[in-house]
Formats: sequence, C-alpha cells, structure tokens
Amino acid sequence: MRGVKMDYREVLKNKHRIVVKIGTSSLSYPNGRMNFHSIEKLAYVLSAVRRRGTQVILVTSGAIGVGAGRLGLTKRPQELAKKQALAAVGQAELMKIYQRFFEEYNQIVAQVLLTKDVVVIPSRNQHAKRTLIKLLEMDIIPIINENDTIATYEIEFGDNDTLSAIVAALVEADLLVMLSDIDGLYNADPRTEGSAEIIHSVLEITPELEQLASGAGSSFSTGGMITKIAAAKICLKDGIDCLITSGSDPAILFDVLAGKEVGTHFVAAKENTAYHA
Amino acid sequence: MGNRKQTIVVRIEISTLLGSNGKISPKKMDRLAMVITNLHNSGKHVLVVSSGAIALGAEKLKLHNLPDNQVDMQATAAVGQAELIRCYQRFFDDYNQIIAQVLLTSDIIDYPQRVENTRNTFNTLLDMSIIPIINENDPVSTIDIEFDDNYPLALIVADIAQADFIVIKMDLNGKYLVVPGGNHTAMVVDGETELQEKIDAFCQVLVPGDIDRDMQFPSSIGEIFFNS
Repeated sequence: MRGVKMDYREVLKNKHRIVVKIGTSSLSYPNGRMNFHSIEKLAYVLSAVRRRGTQVILVTSGAIGVGAGRLGLTKRPQELAKKQALAAVGQAELMKIYQRFFEEYNQIVAQVLLTKDVVVIPSRNQHAKRTLIKLLEMDIIPIINENDTIATYEIEFGDNDTLSAIVAALVEADLLVMLSDIDGLYNADPRTEGSAEIIHSVLEITPELEQLASGAGSSFSTGGMITKIAAAKICLKDGIDCLITSGSDPAILFDVLAGKEVGTHFVAAKENTAYHA
Repeated sequence: MGNRKQTIVVRIEISTLLGSNGKISPKKMDRLAMVITNLHNSGKHVLVVSSGAIALGAEKLKLHNLPDNQVDMQATAAVGQAELIRCYQRFFDDYNQIIAQVLLTSDIIDYPQRVENTRNTFNTLLDMSIIPIINENDPVSTIDIEFDDNYPLALIVADIAQADFIVIKMDLNGKYLVVPGGNHTAMVVDGETELQEKIDAFCQVLVPGDIDRDMQFPSSIGEIFFNS
C-alpha cells in the first residue's frame, strides 16, 4: 500500500463549492481591535477565488468582539444577555466592514444568520439551503454567523467550527477550510517539543488522534482543536474534504486550492477509497 | 411599574422612506433617525421594527422588478438586510446613536427559551442606550414571506418587549396610527390563524377616534405618549 504515494492534495485543485470559516483571532489583534488589513486581504482572496469560478461561503465569528469595540468596552462581558446585546451591535458593524472591503473588489455579499433548527431539522433546513444555493448561483458570497441574539449562545451550535461543518454539509460543499490561529494539527505540542510536526494528511479520525487533539497540544489554540476535529468528523461523514490551517494570512487559501501542502487535510472518503482501491 | 421607562415599538415600512425615484431618501432617513433618537433621548425605550431588506436588496442587485417567489425573495433579503442595517447605522451615527440588529422569525413564539433570550437582549440593549432595529430573518424563514409586511412582527416584538405602545404607522406626511400596548399586546398566539385574528382585533381598536391625524411629523411624536 505504501508503494504508491498518493497525493491527496491533488483533489483540492478542483473544488467547486467551498466553505471558509474564519475565527475571531484571525480578524482582530490580540488587544481585541479589528485587524482591517487581515479583513481586507480576506475580502480580496475570497473575491478572487469566487471570480475564477469557485463558489464561496464565508462563516465568520467576531460579532461580540466588534460590538465590544464599538461600545468602547475593554473587556468582553461574561454575562449571557450582555454578550447577546454586543453580538446584535457587533454583527451589524461586522457586516458593514465586510461590505466595505468586498465592495472594493466589486463583490456582493449577503448576510445569513442561522439558528440550529433551520439548518438541522430536515423538514425546515431546505429553506436555508435553497437560499444559500440561490445566492451562490447569483455570484454572491453569503456571510454566515450564528443568530446569537435569539439563540441560547454557546448552547445551540457551541461554536462556529461546528456551524461551518453543518453549513458545508447542508449546501453539499466539497471543501471546508477552517482558518484559525494554529497552522494545523501537530503530532505533539510544538511549544514544548521541538520535534513536533504538522500532520499533513488525516485519512481517518482515530481515538488516538482525538486524544492528541484533546491533550496538552490542544491548548495552543484558543478556538480549541477538539471542536475542529469534531467539525472535520461531520465533514468526513458527508464526504467533504476539510482543512485546518493558519488564518494569519488569508492568501494561504490560494495555496490550499493549488494543492500545496499547508495545514492539516482531513481527506474525504471518496479520495480515501480511491487510494485503497 | 415603578420607574420603568415607557417602551415604544415603532414600525417602519420601507415604502415611507423611499423617494420618488424608488430609492431610500437620505432626507427622510435623516429625519427618521433624528425623531427616533430624540424619542429615545426624551427618556423612552424605543425599538424599531423595519422592513426593507428585499427592497434594498433588489436595488443593490439592480433588479428591474422585485422578486416574486419565495427563494428569490429570501436571497434578495440576505443581500438587502446588510444594506438596510448599514443605512440605519449611517444615519443614526449622525446623532451619535448606536443601533443593533436583531433578526427574528415569526415562529419565535413557539420557542419560549428564545422569547426569553430575545427579551433579555432587548432589555440589555435598551439599558445600554442602544436602539434595536428589528426585522424578519427572511433568508431562513420557513413560512411564506409577505413583502414589506412587518405588522405581525411588530406585534410580536411589542409582546416580547412588553411595550406600552406601538406606532403602527408613521408616514412622513404627518399621520400616525398608535396602538396602546398593555392587554392588547399580551398575546398568546397559537399558529397563523390566531395571529391573524389578533391582528384583526388590533385593527378594530384603531377606530378613527384613536388616530390623531393632526399630529405633525416629526416634532411632536413624543406628545402622543406624554398625553396618553
């Protein structure tokens, strides 16, 4: 089996419908303020990808942080109602920022706020699915977030990693890219083990792998590796490739779609079985 | 009641904010932002229920006709809501008033937990001197969208916010329809039929005597509430 070296990355060159998830850490500075440069670059990269014919959905975090900034708060509140109020202020602000930057590239965006019932319950999720696919067909980039104001925050989806995977499954995307503050899944904690290396391809999410993600190594991500592995699991179950990489420079998406070996690629079953066949 | 501030829901139909060219009139938006902010400054809690996502989406997409089927409406609304809230932000900014976006679907009344969350969010926003701008979450709606009809939503919002008054109509030529809240808004709605019945009952409250047709927009909007 080892005899034939399979380049799993080859399949990433040919994706038609991708979901890109970006975390708060990639959109803001450590002091909590917006990183406009990063957002501008994201708008450029996604517009360019869209222009060459790949359908793109963006799942974004950041509403609460932006809301706190707008109100001049220096600390993020802990209280649920406060968070929800900040999300209501910040989501409007966040969309304005995205609109401004995407307009630079003549790219129309749409805002879609989801609650769990409208994407998970089969009898109801067809509406959200239809809307999203319609938007994609209209060359629009839908920008998705959880509807935090009415959702029981942190209870419905838990986090946007899970939301992004559910969206990818809903719209039958062929790739989910999670841009975060880590450049992939390591075989050991890179902060303590100098020999730690990125695992570039994952064919199967084994208990050992989950252990690795939940172990000491996981704390090097604020978003947490566990939720990303859970998101990858949802993708693999639906035959969707999934990739975790650093969002510090959104242009990395070009590398991903060029099949370069960046980040950790969770290889979907169809390629997987092709390998075994 | 104690020191509880009067809570007012103002329902805005986008058609009242359009100029003769069918586009948002900056002048009207500016007046609206001023009036609402002023009402808020006078010590009221104000919530705005505004339609307009589909109209603004159609404009953004340069559509010649408004979409006439559900999926086109939903997609157009997803584009337009972002435009709509941006428009509100821009004009309220001039009066140094922070706004928030809240998107609800009418079926929220079937989810007590969400009603509770939303009420808490409203209260928190109002306590922070922020004006919530509320609209239907059309892109994910599982029920038929009625273009530019946010009357049912205004009633639901009034119910959730335990509003004292709803400004049903506020056309810029000086006419208002105002409905007192209280018992009228204490709705227990079961399905669309009952919702419609509630709305019909509401409309019957609006006998001509209840409508102050002489009220001039916008300076004396507050008087409606002070005199009642």
